[in-house]
Amino acid sequence: MAERKSMAEAGRRKRNLLEIIVVAVTVALIVIFSVVVDGFATFGNFRVILSNSASLVILSCGMAVVIISRGLDLSLVAVMIAGATTFTIFINADMPVALALLLTVGAMVMIGLANAWLIAYVEIPAMLATLASAMLVVGLFRFAILQGEFLLLLSKTNPAVIALSGDLLPGVSVSAVVMVAALLVTWFLLRGSAAGRTIYAMGDNFQAARLTGLPVRTTTITVYVFAALAALCAGLVMSAASGAVDFRTVTNGTLLFEVILVVVLGGIPLRGGRGGVLNIIIGVALIAVLRNGMTLMNFTAQMQDVLKGLVLIVAIVADNYFNPRDTETDTVGDL
Amino acid sequence: MSADFKFASLPKQRVPRVVISTRRIIADVLSSGWVESMIPFLAFVCVVIGILLTTQDYFVASNLRNLAQYSADGGLIVLAMLIVVAVGGIDLSVGSNFAMSAFVALFCFHILGLPVPVVMVASLACGALIGATNGILAGLLGCGALLTTLGTMITVRGIFTMSSQARMVEISTSARADDLWDWVGFEKLMTMPVSFWVLLIVAVLIFVLFRQTRFGWHVLAVGGNRKAARHGGIRVKWTIFFSYVLTGLIVGLAGFLYAARQNSISSDTGIGMEFFVLTALVVGLGGFVPGRGAVVPVLIGFLTIYLLNNAMINSGFRGDFVQLSMGAIIILILAIDVKFRKNRHRLLASTYLDPVKITLVPTRGMAGLMPDETARKLTGAQILASGKLDGPEDVILDEEGNLYCGNRDGRIVKLAAPDYTEMSVVAKIGGRPLGLAFDADGRIVTCVAGMGLIRVTLEGEVELLTDLTARSLFSVQDDTSIRMADDLDIAPDGTIYFSDATKRYDMDNWGLDLLEGRPNGRLLSYDPKSRKTRTVCDNLVFPNGVCLTHDGRHLLVASTWGCSILIFDLNDLSAGPRVFLDGLPGYPDNVNRSSDGGYWIALAGMRNPIMDQAMKYPRLRQRMSRRVPPTNWLFGNLNIGGVLKIDGAGKIVDALWDAPDGPLYMITSMREHKGSLFLGGVTNDKIGRLELEDADRDWTGPQSYRGRS
Repeated sequence: MAERKSMAEAGRRKRNLLEIIVVAVTVALIVIFSVVVDGFATFGNFRVILSNSASLVILSCGMAVVIISRGLDLSLVAVMIAGATTFTIFINADMPVALALLLTVGAMVMIGLANAWLIAYVEIPAMLATLASAMLVVGLFRFAILQGEFLLLLSKTNPAVIALSGDLLPGVSVSAVVMVAALLVTWFLLRGSAAGRTIYAMGDNFQAARLTGLPVRTTTITVYVFAALAALCAGLVMSAASGAVDFRTVTNGTLLFEVILVVVLGGIPLRGGRGGVLNIIIGVALIAVLRNGMTLMNFTAQMQDVLKGLVLIVAIVADNYFNPRDTETDTVGDL
Repeated sequence: MSADFKFASLPKQRVPRVVISTRRIIADVLSSGWVESMIPFLAFVCVVIGILLTTQDYFVASNLRNLAQYSADGGLIVLAMLIVVAVGGIDLSVGSNFAMSAFVALFCFHILGLPVPVVMVASLACGALIGATNGILAGLLGCGALLTTLGTMITVRGIFTMSSQARMVEISTSARADDLWDWVGFEKLMTMPVSFWVLLIVAVLIFVLFRQTRFGWHVLAVGGNRKAARHGGIRVKWTIFFSYVLTGLIVGLAGFLYAARQNSISSDTGIGMEFFVLTALVVGLGGFVPGRGAVVPVLIGFLTIYLLNNAMINSGFRGDFVQLSMGAIIILILAIDVKFRKNRHRLLASTYLDPVKITLVPTRGMAGLMPDETARKLTGAQILASGKLDGPEDVILDEEGNLYCGNRDGRIVKLAAPDYTEMSVVAKIGGRPLGLAFDADGRIVTCVAGMGLIRVTLEGEVELLTDLTARSLFSVQDDTSIRMADDLDIAPDGTIYFSDATKRYDMDNWGLDLLEGRPNGRLLSYDPKSRKTRTVCDNLVFPNGVCLTHDGRHLLVASTWGCSILIFDLNDLSAGPRVFLDGLPGYPDNVNRSSDGGYWIALAGMRNPIMDQAMKYPRLRQRMSRRVPPTNWLFGNLNIGGVLKIDGAGKIVDALWDAPDGPLYMITSMREHKGSLFLGGVTNDKIGRLELEDADRDWTGPQSYRGRS
């Protein structure tokens, strides 16, 4: 008994080690950038980092919940763009904002439901189901709604756009508020709700959770609908900030990749079952600082991709070391 | 008591040439291995028909040649992806790798000015390097393949974009021309483009890889079950590593071909390729299935997707619509695949049992011999080896009187004469030994259910004589392997005649064959001289006991569910069987010769009127097997029986029964030896020995039989 306890203790220490390393690297990066890069350590830049990472945080909340439940949502960015497109189409058609938002939320819930249905009821592995649904969603929106365009512009004069990209209080932007709200909702979902307990149980051992009688199917619906709604929020914040919905965000895959990076770096194992809001914050902090620093140092987008790719690979190797997995019991969905 | 019979005057037994049943065809198709490969094939046919209906002059030589030219690199990448998917991984970096290898080729050719073979090697090396990176991470370190390759995809894409942007102008303005380079890119060899031949060669190599090479088998084993592969001594991690390297290598080759053909690259080279390839693979494999190295179906899947893509773009659909339909196709096929895989066994279970009407001749010739009408003679039997045996289906005695029998654990056991208490194991065979016979050299030949015909020397050497026969005509399911070899006898010329009781069930569920009542069994022969197995008569109703007549010219075969004994003329086997005896009171099992020129027939179970009636109503049995739990089925009375004695003309002269609660209530075999009858039962744990009052005290089976021949 004592031995088992100490083993669990050691495991926890080992896991916390990754978080500590990530935090240390973040702090080190901040120090280095502050010294090396001009204009990094200013309050203005801090606000930029915060507002730039808002959509990433919100997306990561969605992804984190999915991954903790031992799923994967590769359609997250596609849904984000789809949500932003739907909303933009509605408000560009001069629909009342509340109605437009309601309809968009309805549409995104439908997409989340479709994903969840494919995964929980048709039982297609999450990775393949969401990969295909991402293709489907992007294809559908570009074909049926955008008529092949890549870009959809928002009217800058629309009150909804102004409200979303503006400040709620002086110094507190709406995007930051949405970000904090998303983190709070995620925290509540994971820690304060019955669904959250089921999510952790599913991530820990899906079959055991199912056989114990936990509502794994309905919880899967909750998880993917939550992810779709998070994607919608992120899409609104992002498109309001940039004034356009850009489908290349999906096709070049960078954002999806950053989201996964945040989750993995934050210390949420890809096998699910562990992690929380704190891990999201840790992960985002590193990525946001890295992104901001590299941009200030005039790295090209490609160079940033390469560096982030290397960071992801290191993170995956580290994750593999800190959360060792038994590849022998893998199924198709656990790639 | 001996009496003779006239073969020619016996009634003929009708044996169907072929058994055709829709339900059986469905069940056989469902249980066959190739049913999944039908998905890409059907999809391909649909696409071709669709194109024929909508597009004119699509399938003309020039267009086909064109398609072959442009499809080769895609085809190569699909095959490359097949290897990693077969080993249980996935490679999302193929698109980036492809672009990078093409860039390396162009860079080496135009800027470094290297000779073409060196360019090719550089391209391959680039692909292999990226493959090796994936292999180290996903294979050796055991990281998740999806995210690892996503990482390399993004990284390599970034490097590609940076380097191609830097060198694009130089490459496009280079004037270098080379005959070999152009030959690879544009020349035709036997009317087809060079790249097409490359694809063909690679496809053949991978086909051979999966079928014939150690590495290919290891790949499939690892993909099928990593744990089992590791336990089998396969170096799992290195196998995965080399699979990724091989994948990278093939992608590098595709990049080289692309570079030679296009002579340029753009920033979107290879973008979205992984999705295209994945779609083709999912169509080809009928799902996302590791452990399957199906080269041909995957190529058909690729062709389907490529033609669909091409035709849609040709007829004016935009790329986004193509993407939409690809996503829909993947979801559709995965959904069908997952559901089919999950429910296949249920579907199979509900269609497998395929009953038919069979009308039995009423019991006859049993006046005064039924259990309640005669003394129960087996109650006086001595019980041997009680509790030491497990299911001696058949018993046999050698000339010294030692007794041999098969056991449920796959051994042949010897009980030494004279008191049969000393037990020793003659041989461990495995399987389920059933019928036994001694050949002329004193070796035991045994029918082993699940294995075939096996010869065992008394020293314990085991030799498989045969486990295959010729495939029957018009059978969906491959029925070459002998599924339930049941009993045998050896003709004077040494030919072994044996029965394969049912082609559709195994030792653990052979009882279900009763509910079918179909002629599922066959009589086979094996010639030890030529070592050839032959199907003597197909489509018999559960042929069970096999026994030569005393004159050695005819063969008796018990038809268990038919409650009859059939007889074959060994000189004219093709004429088919005649009915020697029918209307038995039970289900006959083994048949053996007796000392007085007659035969012993073991009854494995007793008929009853309700079951006889049920055999006339196949739908009733069908419904019952679906709706009623097996424990409550109306079933043949397969746990109580006895022994019948018939004379040489087929007239029942005696019946031996035990008390209903007696130890010998179920008997599947009996041998007469020096005035005693030894009795075995497939579910008994003992052997019975009954002293026969009026039998020849010197008669032994092998002796009387050999003496004659």
